[in-house]
Amino acid sequence: MSSLAEYFETDWAAMTATDWVGTILTVVIFVLMIVAYFQVFRPKNRDKLEAKKHIPFEDDNEDRGDHDGRA
Amino acid sequence: MEATADYSAERKYDFDVVRWFTIMAVVYLVVGAGVGVYIASELAWPFLNFDNPYISFGRLRPVHTNAVIFAFGGCTLMGTAYYTVQRTCGVSLWSNKLAWFTFWGWNAIILLAVITLPLGFTQSKEYAELEWPIDILIAVVWLAFTFNFIMTIANRKSSHIYVSNWFFLGMMVMIVYLHVVNSLSIPVGLMKSYSLFSGVQDAMIQWWWGHNAVGFYLTAGFLGIMYYFVPKQANRPIYSYRLSVIHFWALMFGYVWLGAHHLQYTALPDWTGSLGAAVSLAMIIPSWGGAVNGMMTLSGAWDKLRTDYVLRFLIIALAFYAMSTFEGPVMSLKTVNALSHYTDWTIGHVHSGALGWVAGISIGAIYHLMTRLWHTEMWSEKLVNVHFWTATIGTVIYVVAMWVSGIMQGLMWRAYDEYGTLAYTFVESVAAMHPYYAMRAVGGGIFLIGAMIMLFNVLMTVWKSVSAGSLREARGPTAVAAA
Repeated sequence: MSSLAEYFETDWAAMTATDWVGTILTVVIFVLMIVAYFQVFRPKNRDKLEAKKHIPFEDDNEDRGDHDGRA
Repeated sequence: MEATADYSAERKYDFDVVRWFTIMAVVYLVVGAGVGVYIASELAWPFLNFDNPYISFGRLRPVHTNAVIFAFGGCTLMGTAYYTVQRTCGVSLWSNKLAWFTFWGWNAIILLAVITLPLGFTQSKEYAELEWPIDILIAVVWLAFTFNFIMTIANRKSSHIYVSNWFFLGMMVMIVYLHVVNSLSIPVGLMKSYSLFSGVQDAMIQWWWGHNAVGFYLTAGFLGIMYYFVPKQANRPIYSYRLSVIHFWALMFGYVWLGAHHLQYTALPDWTGSLGAAVSLAMIIPSWGGAVNGMMTLSGAWDKLRTDYVLRFLIIALAFYAMSTFEGPVMSLKTVNALSHYTDWTIGHVHSGALGWVAGISIGAIYHLMTRLWHTEMWSEKLVNVHFWTATIGTVIYVVAMWVSGIMQGLMWRAYDEYGTLAYTFVESVAAMHPYYAMRAVGGGIFLIGAMIMLFNVLMTVWKSVSAGSLREARGPTAVAAA
């Protein structure tokens, strides 16, 4: 246990500005990933998200605009 | 019904530039693979260098990598991105002229690469060899491509942006960032410059670019292709849209950390290599999630693989994607890396990804596009099947040869005798590799034959469409009446 604590020991006073930017970005990205997983796998969002899978099959619908892409 | 829909799409969207990108992609596949087979043969039979510096291995190798990655891969990515963004957003390109600028600009870059690299003009950065004026041209053309893509999305009819466009966009944004930073240099002449970075920082920047060229260009971009063309060819929606969203974000957040695993046991701080390896292992989860998502799209319809040769290309590509994204993280581990690094195992790994995944998914997408863009069936379905088997067998022979050669090489280099001296000289390891180098050239040759069959079949399909007037009919008044 003591060796594990030793392994993770950090000299906070020696952290440079670059170290802090990297650390904060890492933690923010980690939190954002958790938010993404939560949102995507939340049962409430299932039907809303899965409905989007049909988009590639809607492209033959002729009512989706003229050549300029404007209806 | 299908023909009517295609006629409608022909009038609605800008497909001419897509057609040209598609044809050029197939041409560059043959050229790039051809140069690859030649330099593989040079390694097996060195007399093929003919004491001519312009065709020596050192100069032709970057011609090969640039031709397959940027010429074949780039034309495939640009063509498919322009096609899918229009079809999934329900609008034509924001600017057809800008799309043509990217076509001519990208092909000019390829031409400049083919001229300058054999002449020896290089920055000596892997996958970023081209000198600074060409680097600037790449940035301009790529930004034009990105801007046109973003503006087309901005004009879309649907409220949601389909996941394939997310992958394409992720690739575009990251490649701008990576290319610009990695190419920062001080010019000392028209065709000579020195990197802004030096020492281990230069090495880190190089592999930050190098691995992310794999991660964002050769993976994210081609996953954009996968998420559109697998469902369309299978005529079934993707297995799980939620999984595709997680696949995207995990890939975007995770890939940028991996570059340092290329520099294990170097002057780079040890922890950076460990971090690179740890995140590499974590990346197996989203990568396999994506591969399974693509394959399970066929759930309940596996019989399609018996008759649909194009679908075979797309699914075997996903199998290679799964295999490569498992092998890569294993190779990044320090214990495995101690054996594998600097050996042919790396070359085998790269080619299972490049030939199996990137070329496989591209070829499948291009065959799919041929029938939609020229409004006719392929000239020969049988030749598509022949191509599938030549591509698969050629890839397997190539990869197995390099696996065996690489592991043998690594073991020979680190073998010691009872006195603690090296058991083999370097030249002994080179001699031992010769049969596998010959086998690699044969595997590459079989793959090349498949690519040539594809080019022939593609050109005959265009000829068939022109002869029958299929494209003209799709564009013309007959089509209007039919619609």
